[in-house]
Amino acid sequence: MTDVSEKLLIVEDLSTTFATAGGPLPAVANISFDLGRNETIGIVGESGSGKTVLSRTIMGLQPRTNVSVTGSVLLDGNEMVGASEDFKRRLWGTEVAMVFQDPMTSLNPVMRIGKQIDEALRVRLGMSKQDAKARAIELLELVGIPSPVQRYKAYPGQLSGGMRQRVVIAIALACSPKLLMADEPTTGLDVTIQAQILNLLDELKERLHMSVVLVTHDLGVVATRTSRIVVMYAGRIVEIGATRDVFANHRMPYTRALLESSPKVSNASHTRLITIPGRPPNLLKLTQGCSFAPRCSYATDKCHQERPELQAADQPGHSFACWNPLPTTRGDSAT
Amino acid sequence: MLRYVIRRILMLIGIVFIISVGSFFLIHLLPGNITAVIEGPGASPENQAKLFKLLGLNRPIYEQYFVWIGNILHGNLGTSFISQTPVVTTIGNALPIDLEIMFLSQILAFAVAIPMAMRSARKPDGVIDRFFSAGSFTMLSVPSFIVIILLVLFVSIKLGIPHTGPSSYVSLRGDWIGNLESMALPAITLAVGSFVVYFRVLRSDLIATLQEEFITMARSKGLSQRRIMWRHAFRPSSVALLGAAGVNIGGLLAGGFVVQYLLNIPGLGYTLIAAINTDDYLLVQGIVLVVSVGVVLINFFFDFIINIVDPRISRE
Repeated sequence: MTDVSEKLLIVEDLSTTFATAGGPLPAVANISFDLGRNETIGIVGESGSGKTVLSRTIMGLQPRTNVSVTGSVLLDGNEMVGASEDFKRRLWGTEVAMVFQDPMTSLNPVMRIGKQIDEALRVRLGMSKQDAKARAIELLELVGIPSPVQRYKAYPGQLSGGMRQRVVIAIALACSPKLLMADEPTTGLDVTIQAQILNLLDELKERLHMSVVLVTHDLGVVATRTSRIVVMYAGRIVEIGATRDVFANHRMPYTRALLESSPKVSNASHTRLITIPGRPPNLLKLTQGCSFAPRCSYATDKCHQERPELQAADQPGHSFACWNPLPTTRGDSAT
Repeated sequence: MLRYVIRRILMLIGIVFIISVGSFFLIHLLPGNITAVIEGPGASPENQAKLFKLLGLNRPIYEQYFVWIGNILHGNLGTSFISQTPVVTTIGNALPIDLEIMFLSQILAFAVAIPMAMRSARKPDGVIDRFFSAGSFTMLSVPSFIVIILLVLFVSIKLGIPHTGPSSYVSLRGDWIGNLESMALPAITLAVGSFVVYFRVLRSDLIATLQEEFITMARSKGLSQRRIMWRHAFRPSSVALLGAAGVNIGGLLAGGFVVQYLLNIPGLGYTLIAAINTDDYLLVQGIVLVVSVGVVLINFFFDFIINIVDPRISRE
């Protein structure tokens, strides 16, 4: 454990395949990356690129049936792949916790929010009823919910989306996890609330010394909040590196397309955003070649026939999977 | 919540009024002449006419209704012309039997249906689920009078347990073991019909609830499967179950007479059939009214429970 203790999370060659009526569906394929303590890593990609499945697989939260997971996830020295539900249950909440995407559906609608926080404290940490309640109110205060004593008794339906997401965060933080998986934590929220929630996560990460995996489709979200970025497409990593390098020196055309399709403050008003033509591929019908090739303007015959492996770029830790990478030292796309 | 309850109570009063009118007038449409029954065969038409007048049956029917309903408001359902006992007394003797059968059968039905549904929902279409579903379907298609006969055949004749066959009703006063024995078969019979419905309703709702994101969330907190099932999945899945129970229990109160008749249990259903056969229309009216009001109250009660279970319903 001594040599792995430097890294909180080591993911190696992780693949998640669903058995569907149409055949095996490789939702996540051959993912490898690691995460240090107190570090934030961003996982970006379009809807359907496998981000959510990846984050759930890392946590071991994938559905119990019709799914096969291979590779390795070492979480603080604990192997999550192939572990029993009982084993993982002991890590959930205390080692790793998740902030879910949509606060409208991730809270139990018929349970008071206080009870939903209490529960983890009482079951996992063995707190008494009074202690758990006091701690739950503290947590509500920590995530910035006004009049937490009254809110403790509220049902989720009585709170706004932003407040509910704060409750979800409070639940995730309840047992002081070392790793927080934030799966598109702001997608279901108003734009004005998004920044508040992200800043809250940032602040809590510093205060509680957590590591964070921030999953999002919005590069603007990860730009200032992460030290490294993983860009995913069709279940695979297509580019990975320090945030600075990925923004300034991305080599994969997909990364550039993602960057160009997110709005920037420097844009003149009424600037038309560039969209990525086409749609993510059907994972049941993947070709031999690069899965982005059908939508890529640089694609050659080779791209359609052979899949590029990750190769190292100039900067340490930066790699990309592309046969026709963009020229290096492009600095103009940085936000 | 308070406004909701008040609204429901006002509705309740309206419904009870309509039921009282309905049960009164419908019964007066029945053929048969009470005076002939009371005076027995060979009664002279003059005597019949005299009695007809004496009983107030010559007055306009709406007047008769108001006399009847006025008495009911004073807790008086009239005195049977046939047995000369107050209707309230007869019903008071029979009703507890119905309530006991109902209570026992529902406890039994829930005790079997809930764990079965939870087990099934854990792995839909798994071996256990298929077995339970097929079994419950089979039960659903066997009518209750067949179930009773088979049960009597098996329990009373093969096993020879006393108090379990027809004409063996033991009152709850005194011998409660004997009473439970005599209640076992009717309760089991009614439970068989109920548990199938409860199992199927709860199973499908649990399966849907278990797909919800908040279940994954509960899982990610590190809660045990059992706790997730009972604390997180059961309550939001039980709305349809409670609705079904309300309708079903009402139905048992109104329709339990097949079981009572076949097993000679002197509950309301049994008494009602006897009253119809003897043209004892005051007793019929009284039972119909009590049963209808009971059905309405039971549904009201379950609606109320549903509101507590799922606070989203009354908030709209």
